[in-house]
Amino acid sequence: MVGEFEYLILSAAAHLGEEAYGAAMRELIESSGGRTCSLGALYTTLDRLEAKGLVETWMSAPTQQRGGRAKRMVRVTGKGVRAAREFYEAVIRISLGTAWGESRLGCLPGDAV
Amino acid sequence: MRSQRGVSVVGWRCIEAAAGLLAPLEREVVLGDLAEMDGGAWRGLVDVLGLAARRQLALWRSWRPWAASLGLALPASLFLMGWSVAASEAVSSLLGGPPHVRLVWLSISRLFLVICWAWMAGFVVGAVARGTLWASVFACCAPCLHCLSMWPGHGLSFLKLLIFALPGLWGVWHGRRELRLGLSLAVFLAAMGTLGFLISGKGGWMYSCGLLWPGWYLTATARPRQV
Repeated sequence: MVGEFEYLILSAAAHLGEEAYGAAMRELIESSGGRTCSLGALYTTLDRLEAKGLVETWMSAPTQQRGGRAKRMVRVTGKGVRAAREFYEAVIRISLGTAWGESRLGCLPGDAV
Repeated sequence: MRSQRGVSVVGWRCIEAAAGLLAPLEREVVLGDLAEMDGGAWRGLVDVLGLAARRQLALWRSWRPWAASLGLALPASLFLMGWSVAASEAVSSLLGGPPHVRLVWLSISRLFLVICWAWMAGFVVGAVARGTLWASVFACCAPCLHCLSMWPGHGLSFLKLLIFALPGLWGVWHGRRELRLGLSLAVFLAAMGTLGFLISGKGGWMYSCGLLWPGWYLTATARPRQV
């Protein structure tokens, strides 16, 4: 199973879709996740996710906005989607019945009502 | 050079200098990300240094930096220091007294061995641990500087250290570029290093452990001959 920060990166990459790269993912994680995200943590975790086959990365063409420098683009693989879903479902299940989870979380897709 | 978003020219220069610690491709990506973001010079600098530190720590999870610095550079520098002193003493005797065939042979063989071993050790260090070369250089320099400071003027000098330091650096430079030697050259160097040691017979087998194995490591990892 993926870790918490790995899950945040997978989610950010999935949210951004074709526009997923370092700076954009960091901005999304910081604005939505409510936590700071260093580039060191981001890129070393991306390397680990890529080694596990959960994401693919490649270099884009250089852009003027970045002073003529390329981006490291990110795409979540099918295996990455399954790993993220597994983590998400585990969090939902473990949170059901807790004081903080009861009022906000519904049933998981596919669960018996 | 113009400043990037929210970062002064001086700040950006500091960030670019720190980014020199990163691999070229990653440097471009990170500098591009920082140019796009609005985090300020300090945060950019911390980002770059943090990434460089993480990359360096990741390298130390492998056996290679340990083998290159503590397994080779440190003991080899101690042994080569002894050999450098012995070689320079032989040369001094040759230059100071009447020429003698034995002294000529002793001077040439010892100088050759020091240069050969230092080059091979340098090559292995450069090839095995390219990313942590600073640690190997430190492991090599520390005992030399310690000996120089502890016993100034007692046989050891900077000039004598250069007898193995220069070929060692030359070997490191080749090792970083080529990673593996051709089989013929590797066998030749390993054989000459071993043969020279056996003929010279100085220092015992302890020396052989520290100085002979790089040559045979190079032979074992050599590029096969092109048919």
